[in-house]
Amino acid sequence: MEPIIEVKNLVKVFHSRGRTITAVNDVSFDVFNGEIFGMIGPNGAGKSTTFSMLTTLLKPTSGSITVAGFDVQKQDDKIRPLIGIVPQKLSLYPLLTARENLEFMGNLYNVPKKVLEDKIDYYLKLVGLEASADRYTGGFSGGMKQRLSVIAAILHDPQILFWDEPSTGLDPQTRNVIWKLGRKFNEEGRTLVFTTHYMEEADNLCDRVAVMDSGKMVALDDPERLKETTGSTNLEEVFVHFTGEQVRD
Amino acid sequence: MTIKTELMDSLIVAKKEFKVLFRKKWLVIPLFLFPIIMIVFFGYGMGGTVKNSPILIVNDDTGRASSSLIQEIGSYTPKYDGNPMFSVTYTKDMSQSEAESKINDGLYKGVLLIPHNYSDSIAKNESTSLTLLTDSSDTTTSQTISNFIRQLLSKTGSVILNIPNIYGNLEYLDFLTPGVIALTVFMGSVATTGSAIAGEKEDGTLIRMLMTPISKRSVILGKTIYQLILQLARAVVLILAAFLLVGFHMNGSWLLISLVLVIFTLGGVGMGIVMSSRVEDMESFFQLNMLITMPSMFVTGVFFPLSSVPDWMRYIAYCLPLTYAIDAMRTIMIKGQGLHAVSNDLIILTLFAIVTFTLGVHLFRREA
Repeated sequence: MEPIIEVKNLVKVFHSRGRTITAVNDVSFDVFNGEIFGMIGPNGAGKSTTFSMLTTLLKPTSGSITVAGFDVQKQDDKIRPLIGIVPQKLSLYPLLTARENLEFMGNLYNVPKKVLEDKIDYYLKLVGLEASADRYTGGFSGGMKQRLSVIAAILHDPQILFWDEPSTGLDPQTRNVIWKLGRKFNEEGRTLVFTTHYMEEADNLCDRVAVMDSGKMVALDDPERLKETTGSTNLEEVFVHFTGEQVRD
Repeated sequence: MTIKTELMDSLIVAKKEFKVLFRKKWLVIPLFLFPIIMIVFFGYGMGGTVKNSPILIVNDDTGRASSSLIQEIGSYTPKYDGNPMFSVTYTKDMSQSEAESKINDGLYKGVLLIPHNYSDSIAKNESTSLTLLTDSSDTTTSQTISNFIRQLLSKTGSVILNIPNIYGNLEYLDFLTPGVIALTVFMGSVATTGSAIAGEKEDGTLIRMLMTPISKRSVILGKTIYQLILQLARAVVLILAAFLLVGFHMNGSWLLISLVLVIFTLGGVGMGIVMSSRVEDMESFFQLNMLITMPSMFVTGVFFPLSSVPDWMRYIAYCLPLTYAIDAMRTIMIKGQGLHAVSNDLIILTLFAIVTFTLGVHLFRREA
C-alpha cells in the first residue's frame, strides 16, 4: 500500500515559563492511502500535538511530515485544501444558522456556489439536520453540533480527513452516526485519521491503531495483531499493556 | 495565492462579521446609542475649568490705561485655583487676520487687540473699542476669556468690546462632539476587534478558520474592512444625531474626517489584534481593555481642554494616540481647517496604525 502521510523523526518541543516540554519525541510512521488510522493514548501522550502538526497548525521542532506528497513546513497552503479537519473543540458560530455555518466554511474553501448549496442540502439530510438547517447553532445540542462539525469538514471534498476526538462526550446514538459517516467517507476512498479515548471504537473501525505514550509511538499495527502479540482479549488491555496503569496529569 | 483571492476571502470574513453583529441586537443598539447618550448628558451636564490658557495681547498703545489693563489680565488668579488663568504673550503691530491665523494654528486661545489711541481715549473720557478674538472651538475656555475681559472692562466704562465670532456661535457641545466621535471610534474599534478575536479563540472558531486555505492576511483584512465600515457608519450616525438633537454644526470636510477616522480605525484594529493575542478568552480581554483604553478616555481631553490640565497629565495625553485624533477632529469639524492644519496629527496617527498593525499581524499566528 502506498503511504499518503509520511512522518519521519518528528519532534515537538514547547518552551513555557522556563520549562522545556518534549510533547512529541522522535516519532516516525506512515498512514496508507485509503485506510482508517486511529491514534490512542493517555492524556498528554502527544496525540493532539501530532495531530496539530499533521494538519499544518503547528510547526515541527525537527523531523519531517509530508501529506499527499507535500511538505507541511513549506507547502502548507497546498495541503490545506486537501484535508478536512474536525477539531476537538466544537467550533461553530453560535449566531449563524446551521446552513450559514456550512456556507461560510464552504466559501473559505472556495466551493462554487451551486455545488455548495447542493452539498449542504445533501449532507444536512444525511445527518438528519435538515429540519434545523435555519436555526442558530447556539441552541443546538452537543450531538447536533458535532454532526454539523463533521459535515462542515467534507464540503470541499477532501482526500484526507482528520477527526480529533470526534465522539468524546456524545451519546451512543450520535457516536453511532458519526462512525457510520466515517465508514461511508472511507468507502468513498478517503483516508481517515482520528484520535479517540473509546477503545471499542478504535477496535471496530481501524485498519491500524497507533498507541502513543509520553511523546513516543509505542505500538502500531492492526487491532487483531496487537491483541494477539500482547495476549489481550480487547484493545483496552492492549492499551494498558503498553501504557501502564498509572494515571497521567 | 493571488491578491484577488485574498481580497475575496477577506470579504467572506467581513460578511460573516456583519451577519454575526446584526444578530447581536443587544449590542448593535448600544454601539450606536451610547455615544449619543454621552454627548447629550455630558454636553448639558459639564463645563470644565480654565487655567494657564495661552493668550496673546497685541498692544499698539503705549499709555498708562493699557499697561494697567495688561497687568490685571496677566496676574489674574481665580478664586478656587492657585494658578493664573492666563499665560500671556505680548506683541504689537499685528493685523486681525494675522491674529486669527494664530488661533487657527492653535497657538493661542485668545487674542486681545488694543488700538494705538486706547489710553488717550480713556484719559479724555471718549468712547473707544477693543477687539477680542477667541478660539471658540474650545467653548469652555473661550467663554471664560470673554466673560473675564467683559467684567474687567465694565470697571473702566465707555469701552466697547468687539468679540468677532471666528467659527460661528459655538457651545460646549460643539467642543465635545468631535472628541466623542474620536473616542467612540477608538474604543469601538479596539474593543470589538479584540473581543471578537478573543471570543473566536475561546470557542475555537478562529483556529477552525485558520485550518482552511484562507490566509492569515485575509482574516485580518476581512476584520479590518468590517471595522472600517462599522466605525465610519457610527461616526456618520453620531454626527447626524448631534445635528438633529443638539444642533451641532459641521464646518469641515466630510472627506477629511473620513480620512482621519480610517487611519485611526486601522490603528485601533491593530491595537485590538495585539491585545487579543495576549489573552485566551473574552473576559480577560475586557480586563485588559479596561486597563489600556479607559485612561485614554479621561486623560486626552475629550471632555475638557488639554490646556487646563496639569503638566504631568498633559504629557501623558501627548503619549496617547487618541489625543491627536481628537485634535484633528476638532480642527476639521469646528475650525473647518484643511489637510495642512492636521498633517502632524495624521502623521502620528499613521505611525500608530503602522506600528500596531505590523505588531498585530506578527502576533496573530496560525499556531493560535
